[in-house]
Amino acid sequence: MVLEDDYFLTFMQWLLPGRQGIGALGWFMIWVPIVALLGLLVGFVRATLHYTARDGLASGILEGFFAVARTIDTAVKDLSQTSARRTFAMARLAVQESLRRLVLVVFAVFLLFVLFAGWFLDVNSDNPARLYMGFVLGMNNMLLLLLALVLSTFSLPSDIRNRTIYTVVTKPVRPSEIILGRVLGFSFVGTVFVVVMCLISYVFVTRGLNHEHGVDPTTVTRQTVDGASVVSGQTTEDLRHVHTFTLRDGQGRTDIAHGHWHEVEQVGEGENATFVVGPPRDTLQARIADYGRLRFLGRTGKERATAYNVGKEWSYRSYVEGGTKSAAIWRFRGITPERYPEGLPLELNLRVFRTHKGDVEKGIVGLLKLRHPDPAVNTESETFTFTAQEFQIDNLFIDRNLRAQKSDGTLKPIDLFEDLVDKTDGSVEVIVQCAEPAQYFGMAEGDVYLRARDGSFFWNFVKGHVAIWLQMVLVVSFGVMFSTFLSGIVAMVATLATVVLGHTVDFVTELATGEVPGGGALESSVRIVRQMNVSAEIDANVGTQLLQGTDLVGSNVVRFMTFLVPNYKELSRTIAENGPLVNGFDIFNTLLARQCLTTFVFVGVVVLISYFFLKTREIAA
Amino acid sequence: MATPVSEVLAQAAPAAGENVVIETRNLSKVYRDFWGRHKVRALKALDLEVYQGEIFGLLGPNGSGKSTTIKLLLGLLFPTSGSALVFGKDALDVSKNERIGYLPEESYLYRFLNAEETLDFYARLFDMPASVRRQRIADLITMVGLNWAKRRQLKEYSKGMARRIGLAQALINDPELILLDEPTTGLDPIGTREMKDLILRLRDEGKTILMCSHQLADVQDVCDRIAILHQGELKELGRVDTLLKVQDVTQIQARGLSKEAEAEIREVIARHGGTLESLENPTTTMEELFLSIVRDSEARPGRRVREGDKDRSEE
Repeated sequence: MVLEDDYFLTFMQWLLPGRQGIGALGWFMIWVPIVALLGLLVGFVRATLHYTARDGLASGILEGFFAVARTIDTAVKDLSQTSARRTFAMARLAVQESLRRLVLVVFAVFLLFVLFAGWFLDVNSDNPARLYMGFVLGMNNMLLLLLALVLSTFSLPSDIRNRTIYTVVTKPVRPSEIILGRVLGFSFVGTVFVVVMCLISYVFVTRGLNHEHGVDPTTVTRQTVDGASVVSGQTTEDLRHVHTFTLRDGQGRTDIAHGHWHEVEQVGEGENATFVVGPPRDTLQARIADYGRLRFLGRTGKERATAYNVGKEWSYRSYVEGGTKSAAIWRFRGITPERYPEGLPLELNLRVFRTHKGDVEKGIVGLLKLRHPDPAVNTESETFTFTAQEFQIDNLFIDRNLRAQKSDGTLKPIDLFEDLVDKTDGSVEVIVQCAEPAQYFGMAEGDVYLRARDGSFFWNFVKGHVAIWLQMVLVVSFGVMFSTFLSGIVAMVATLATVVLGHTVDFVTELATGEVPGGGALESSVRIVRQMNVSAEIDANVGTQLLQGTDLVGSNVVRFMTFLVPNYKELSRTIAENGPLVNGFDIFNTLLARQCLTTFVFVGVVVLISYFFLKTREIAA
Repeated sequence: MATPVSEVLAQAAPAAGENVVIETRNLSKVYRDFWGRHKVRALKALDLEVYQGEIFGLLGPNGSGKSTTIKLLLGLLFPTSGSALVFGKDALDVSKNERIGYLPEESYLYRFLNAEETLDFYARLFDMPASVRRQRIADLITMVGLNWAKRRQLKEYSKGMARRIGLAQALINDPELILLDEPTTGLDPIGTREMKDLILRLRDEGKTILMCSHQLADVQDVCDRIAILHQGELKELGRVDTLLKVQDVTQIQARGLSKEAEAEIREVIARHGGTLESLENPTTTMEELFLSIVRDSEARPGRRVREGDKDRSEE
């Protein structure tokens, strides 16, 4: 799972200037005046051109100025007189319109997908939970955005084309009510869809992953170890997988296969004993993790902000080198015996970078120890070894009764909370190293955490759908905005463009800063025609310089536009393939709150802009 | 012979105490294309006043600027120059719509709603209690005679039915000023007559009506005053009765005259130096004939036999 740095910010840290640059509020304060000024300028130029054509330049400018002032004055009045009753009436109409148009078709498509999805999902997947979740989230997201797109962009243009709008705007309806009513109405329809799709998908996922195993009697072996009876064997094959299990004194569990395990219980004694395999466990989880702050030590043991870069790779993870003093140190806070009475349930999700192949079947051995954060205390636990399984979470339970190495090399018992936790802030350090020389462990802040407890998967699933809902509301708002001045199909393409742009912000930024190999649109076209690959040197002549210059301007214009559209990628990070929901982690409520606030601010601004578009539009022209 | 414009204008001046409901001053509209290029001058410096409680007709051939005037008054179009005031407020001021009802040229209604839902939607746009809203919806549906089809979606409605529900939505707020764009288009003769009766009734209730039409007979039947527009310009303005009065012709209508009496009248006219233009039995209008047949048929269902046919069948 990928948790970018800003994932860990609290709501206030995100909102206010400080840790994250100028904060969300800062950006708001910068962008809102820019958009407002831009709007005023466009309005002024439009009005001036209009009046100049009639009365000449001098009075055109004056009239233009007055027209803008008049519009603002009317806007203030209109917005203050916006009535909930009329807005509700418009919203009701939007709902009725949706119901009698195409929404049920979308629902039918959804049902069709869900009913027959089982045929097409990869039955051999190593992690069916991820597969199922990825499928339903992707499908729900896509269908809802499509629904929002079609509903919101065709309504107003069709009203204007059919002139039904004549009978509406000749009633005491403000443009703000027409806009808000549509946004609310279509969002309501979308909300009903989100709720229904969420519930059906939940049932689909939980039922699809639920299964039962029996025990294959031919595989069962019995032996006695340390006086206890140990039974091992294999389960039957169901849903294309088999578990092996080991029971001690009649109780035990299977190994983890396809991302889950089962409890196994022996019923009866001796040769006549039967085995009961329980339902799948840990298939769908919502781990509530306690994250720490990460820092690194270099090869010589000196502190570094990041560890090592293992090549031109994604810089999200930093790599510590095996067999040296290089280490990753997490500092967890708020560790109290009340929260973790037994000890620390650590989970590690490390990446491995091998400079030599070794035995690829075996994982790379790592070392882990706990240390008191205060160097003056100088207490650390004994070292634990673990084997990093790539792409799988390693569980490591650190019991509170630990041992520490004395100066003479002998071990003495220590208590986690008494000897290793700093009493002032309840913090403790966890140090992770790679034991094998010339191999590397890649780590980011979210990769080692304490599994505080498990939240409800259902609510986590709902939270994931909140992210989809937010995107739907945004698409509806943008769709309605574009439909105030564009015809249906053009408005749809424009709205779609904002969605695509919002999903590719990172790429556009890289394109504008020249980090994308192969150059921008024009240069790439030339490369395609001349069959040059992206890394081939392009001739440096006036022509290509012109192309590259145009590309630079073009991509920077697009980059500027990315600041004006919502970052859909950011909004869908919680439901992305590498996001928390699919990987079984609880979605941070603060992140959800941040996304909600961002969305509502966007919707507010977009509604305001739409108001001006509709207000200044000559309906009957 | 028509009265000179100046005289008519003088007659059309507001009487003392009459309230001006609609006022346009130098109202002009030029349609432009996407690039702002001058396309068509639809209305040229229109000066007009409509007073409270009158039926005012805008007349003119297609493209004369009637609909443009109405759209400017409703704020559906922005004037190129000049001003349009309704109840003393700028035509672009939304609050004026509280007191206005508008019946567009065609039924621009939501085809996916039924009659009740349509009226309910429009009624909710006005500030009225729910009980009043429900009562008014029921009354209006009864008034336009669509009780039997009130649950059917408008897309199943005939043109005449859609027109009726269009009228009902225009009256939903019990407006003081009603703008009717071609009110009788698409109606059968009965519907046309009902519409005209309704317009007169609304006037009698004290409402002001502005209608535009090119059905001259309809305008003549209901309008108190008219303005004739041609190519965006005001050509004539005044009271219908005055405008249509032919000053140098005298019309006599009498009942029960014998042939001798008619001959005597001819003689009297000749003696006084007049020229007899016609002396004949007047014909009724086609509208009157049609309506009397339909009413008769409704009163006595069955095959209707004309008087002449009846005589022949008896022979």
